Amino acid sequence: MFVKIILDCFFASIAGCGFGAISNPPKRAFLYIAILSAMGHCLRTILMSYCKLDIATSSLFAGILIGFSSLPFSKISYCTATVLYIPALLPMIPGKYAYNTIFALISFLQNTDDKVLSSKYMDDLLSNLMITSSVIFVLAVGATMPVFLFPNKAYQMTRRKK
Amino acid sequence: MHDREWLLRVSRLLCDYSSHLMGCGVHTSRVVRNTKRLGLAFDVYVTLSTFQNTMSISAMDMITNKVHSEIFEVEKSPILFSHNTELSALSWDAIDNKLTVEEIEEKYNKILSKHLLDPKLILLMVSLANLSFCKLFGGDAISMLIVFLATAFGFFLKQVMTKWMCNNYMTIFASSFIASIICSVSFLFDCSSDICMATSVLYLIPGVPLVNGVIDIIEGYTLMGLTRLINCSLIILFIAVGLGLTLILIK
Repeated sequence: MFVKIILDCFFASIAGCGFGAISNPPKRAFLYIAILSAMGHCLRTILMSYCKLDIATSSLFAGILIGFSSLPFSKISYCTATVLYIPALLPMIPGKYAYNTIFALISFLQNTDDKVLSSKYMDDLLSNLMITSSVIFVLAVGATMPVFLFPNKAYQMTRRKK
Repeated sequence: MHDREWLLRVSRLLCDYSSHLMGCGVHTSRVVRNTKRLGLAFDVYVTLSTFQNTMSISAMDMITNKVHSEIFEVEKSPILFSHNTELSALSWDAIDNKLTVEEIEEKYNKILSKHLLDPKLILLMVSLANLSFCKLFGGDAISMLIVFLATAFGFFLKQVMTKWMCNNYMTIFASSFIASIICSVSFLFDCSSDICMATSVLYLIPGVPLVNGVIDIIEGYTLMGLTRLINCSLIILFIAVGLGLTLILIK
């Protein structure tokens, strides 16, 4: 279990930094993006694997953890919170469900004459689409929640003198 | 000296500042807040109106009550988090240290001329990120290697097409198709092919506009938020079309 979690943290931090690099963050932000990605993904894995929570609820908690943790980290790194938490959320995008949605859509279109198969693929399409969009939505809401709870604090992270 | 020329110069700086912030992927309320703050550093009260491609500004000199209004275009720029951070800090710096227009212009130009990450380094990091993604989904070593190569080719194509100023959606479609068609090689091996295919296009997911869209809507900039989310939906649609074309071809 311990090794699995460590590996999970390691690969999540690489994924977070890599996807963050696309958006050209300041170099000092990478360390905090890596930590946030690892924390978020690790929490979600624990909640899903050991607490048997569903993927949307686990993602919401992981998003909230990333959002709250991004506040002190952005204060330390003088970066805006969004610079840290957006890349950290990306390793939790439910890619497999998104792929299954597209796969089901194409299979549905190719089997419209077969009532049984087309109903099955439509079922798959809707369930996968609902999971994908719900997870992405709760991730975004969870991570932005702390910024709306503490707006004055969140908006002054890049201020060096008060 | 608060004359008409001075107000025009300050307004131009505020237009450039807000246009660049909006272009480089900052959510709307931050653009408005930062520009207002920068204006207050000169005793200029700023009102901004924002749309997807254009913005309008009304800058009122609070000493002389003179007003300058202007409509300007939003700068076309890739997402630049480093500019988001540095320009936000500049607005605080201006108000806390009472900087002059000349000092702010100098600092602004210095921030814009700073070197960004090397595109080759970004290519490597994105490929490693997608490889890690594959592992997180339970992919095996062969799948991880294929995903790494597919991402490298797909992202390189995206970089080249962006440099050639190709349409963004066409770029996404081509990149998605190339990455997924390379990943379809995994069906020739005894490996986790489904995971390989699922991971192949995830580097294209528009995370920044997606979160910015949600923030904009929650903060009351509904039009801007919806515009960003429609843009995201189109990007996701074109990723799906690229992946879908591969699935049809390899059926």
